[in-house]
Amino acid sequence: MNRRTFLQSSAAVAVAQSLPWSARAAQDWRSFETVTRVEIADAFGVARAWLPLGLQEDTDWQRTLGHSWRGNAARARIYRDPKYGVAMLYAEWPETVFSPVLELTTRVMTRDRALDLSAPARASDLSAAERRFYTAPTELIPTDGIVRRTALDITRGAGNDVEKARAIYEWIVDHTFRDPNTRGCGVGDVRSLLESGNLGGKCADLNALYVGLARAVGVPARDVYGIRVAPSQYGYKSLGAGSPNITKAQHCRAEFFARGHGWIPVDPADVRKVVLEEPPGNLPLDDAKVAAARKRLFGSWEMNWVAYNMGHDLKLPHSSGPTLPYLMYVNAEAGGEMRDQLEPETLRYAISAREITG
Amino acid sequence: MRYALLALAFLVLNATAAELKPWTGGATPELALADLSGKQHRLSDYRGSVVLVNFWATWCEPCRAEMPSMDRLGKSLEGRPFQVLAVNMAEPLSRIQRFKEEVPVSFPLLRDRNGSVGKAWRARFLPASYLIGRDGRIRYVAYGELDWTSAEVRARVNELLSEGPDAPRRAERDAPPPAQKAHGVRAARSSAADRRPDRA
Repeated sequence: MNRRTFLQSSAAVAVAQSLPWSARAAQDWRSFETVTRVEIADAFGVARAWLPLGLQEDTDWQRTLGHSWRGNAARARIYRDPKYGVAMLYAEWPETVFSPVLELTTRVMTRDRALDLSAPARASDLSAAERRFYTAPTELIPTDGIVRRTALDITRGAGNDVEKARAIYEWIVDHTFRDPNTRGCGVGDVRSLLESGNLGGKCADLNALYVGLARAVGVPARDVYGIRVAPSQYGYKSLGAGSPNITKAQHCRAEFFARGHGWIPVDPADVRKVVLEEPPGNLPLDDAKVAAARKRLFGSWEMNWVAYNMGHDLKLPHSSGPTLPYLMYVNAEAGGEMRDQLEPETLRYAISAREITG
Repeated sequence: MRYALLALAFLVLNATAAELKPWTGGATPELALADLSGKQHRLSDYRGSVVLVNFWATWCEPCRAEMPSMDRLGKSLEGRPFQVLAVNMAEPLSRIQRFKEEVPVSFPLLRDRNGSVGKAWRARFLPASYLIGRDGRIRYVAYGELDWTSAEVRARVNELLSEGPDAPRRAERDAPPPAQKAHGVRAARSSAADRRPDRA
């Protein structure tokens, strides 16, 4: 999206901002192009890069149309992690290449998700194995100890999975806060969050907490990592990409599984983002805009965001680095040294997005 | 200095080589699509010919870059049983027509309106090109831009052309083992990604 198009789009958005979460047809597919350009500065030794790719399987809310790449890598291929199916483009440069460059272009279609939990339940259930998988702990999301005790307290009196999931959602919104000083999107160390009593963080913290609490009481749940690609069309400045440069627009969300309804989208972390960032900022929970977002973000996602994956505890192929709690950023290394994934300037990567029309 | 570095980076962007590799992905998926004029093309219509099925999009720079060399390959084989079918991935007709005005090619441009055919062929990374033998089976695949007029590529095409339309077994027997990289055909200027996943 060039600057003019982006401004035109933003102007159209402004028209729709008279009411919180103003109504809009949510059935239309939208197409986006993202371009990720990676340069590994001052590379010495063999250089490698790992770029997250969008969901590989089509859903009724996201379809990948295709990818293409160019650059001076000697090897490039798609890897998929065997446990979660996390897809990434892996590229490798020999030590003779001093300035590794890679540019990945992706086209993806999305459409808004909005599920009516009062509608008749028709979706198929998870298998027993799937249910075990989506209630299992991960390295940073345990489901015992303080996590389970907290979850049991929160869900006392809740009858079914939807009621439990709702209770946890409301608890997250009421008891946590978005901490602007958190690096990146946060780490998602759920036990530390609860044990410290400091319930501040960003999406990878707050939504991981949601997932951990849900799993701890037997409700299947998962984090969904991705990136915002466009402004919100529902009148929320804080819930969209602020410009075509989306290098730092990574955002993760969450889902829980409700029998008969399937995977339900939620995003309590974004409610706390509205509280902190929606102009004029530091809004009270009873502000109309916060209340509308709070209602909306249990059961719906605006798809001005592209999902990458739902994986945890990932070891990057051929990497000398540690296991990652999740893959949402560009990662790279040179000479066996990992570059800082949260500093695009030192790694020199940039991600841009534009909506495709016509 | 900064501009010089950027210019250097731009210059090297297309320096990576793609490879035409033996196909190990199993059966050949169906392909039945209309071209820009609405005429239907089925892969089975071309049984007896070597067919290059190329999945592409106008937004894919390597796709655009390799189109002229595909066209030159096709023209150089006029009169022989060889056909290029270029399948556009889910773009509007107007955009494809504009592209054709800019890059006129002599082979049909087919429309995969919702990308479902491309997905059946597992063409996620573009360009994705499949060389089909005269027996109708996929024999080679390349992910990324190739110089389709290179000697190495021509050798592979000629190898397939030299086979009779009903000689798949002989070809299979003579084909190199899939894992032997030495049999991959390298092109001078291209980029490619291998679709097949390695397990991390």
